[in-house]
Amino acid sequence: MTTRRFEGLAQRLLRAGIAPRHVRRLIAELEAHFADLVAEQRSAGLSQADSETQATVRLGTDDVLIANILARPELRSWARQWPWLAFVVLPLLALPVQFVLSMLAAVGVLAFSTQILGMTALHPGAVPWVVAGLQAYGMWIAPMAAAGAACFLALRSGAPLAWPIVGSALIALLGAATNASFEWTPEVPRGALSAGIGLHFPDVGLISSLRAILTILTVLTPILWLRRRRRELSSLP
Amino acid sequence: MAQNASLMSGVPELLVLRLLSTQEMYGYELARAVRESTRQAISLGEGVLYPALHAMESRGFVKARRRTVSGRTRVYYAITPRGNRRLGELSGEWRRIAGGVRALLEGA
Repeated sequence: MTTRRFEGLAQRLLRAGIAPRHVRRLIAELEAHFADLVAEQRSAGLSQADSETQATVRLGTDDVLIANILARPELRSWARQWPWLAFVVLPLLALPVQFVLSMLAAVGVLAFSTQILGMTALHPGAVPWVVAGLQAYGMWIAPMAAAGAACFLALRSGAPLAWPIVGSALIALLGAATNASFEWTPEVPRGALSAGIGLHFPDVGLISSLRAILTILTVLTPILWLRRRRRELSSLP
Repeated sequence: MAQNASLMSGVPELLVLRLLSTQEMYGYELARAVRESTRQAISLGEGVLYPALHAMESRGFVKARRRTVSGRTRVYYAITPRGNRRLGELSGEWRRIAGGVRALLEGA
């Protein structure tokens, strides 16, 4: 638990990109050290106020501590050390992974419905709807989820938004150029599922352009608004 | 020259590893031990010890563990075999530099 004395320091370190696990332990250690220094000064006969002043001098001011901590690049979070990996490459990779997971989910739904629930091609229940939903997820939601997660993590860790914006643009383009197809057909006896994934780049049509623009707007509008709001709040006295 | 510059910036690392080679310690103990064992000649900003310790831990020179003593939880640091090798390197470099400086002063 962070006391008020070191709360500001913890926030500044997190915003500067120091890994949260290092921040938590550094603050705990500094608090314990501060308490030891105060006890040492008190046992030498100083008042509580003077002891705390002396302890602060010996421990170092927040600015000195931050300068020394930031001078150690190995203490930064991995996302700050390799922002291109965290906010561009991994979210881009998350896109095909989501497509594959959607396909597997469609296969799982079909298998469960026919083998466990005993549904047939003539009485498929919600299977066609679920498959259509998964296709819609793969086509429309998956790019937004990947780009949104990258932007949200960057915003939460106080990282610059340049890399996540680049990542979001690339994800939007890749997502728009990707064609995921999940189709359930009422083949006797249990129905059949076909699934496919492909790229239709650079032949990008109106719908694909709309998907790209929608992804970018849906992700970046709230993120940029949140960042602006956070800046306004932090500039308040 | 670059080697000497890195040696100067490695003084806290040398002191910490040397002290930890005798016993495990927590931060406040280490800061006090640095002052006492260098006869107050070297007094590090005490808060500066922690980023140095964390960095050394990341590089595998020390390992940390939490211990509760008299109801207070502290993070104790101990040197690792890799830290011992690093201590040997730093000590050798430092002795070489100190010997050179001594030779210069005695010859002057």
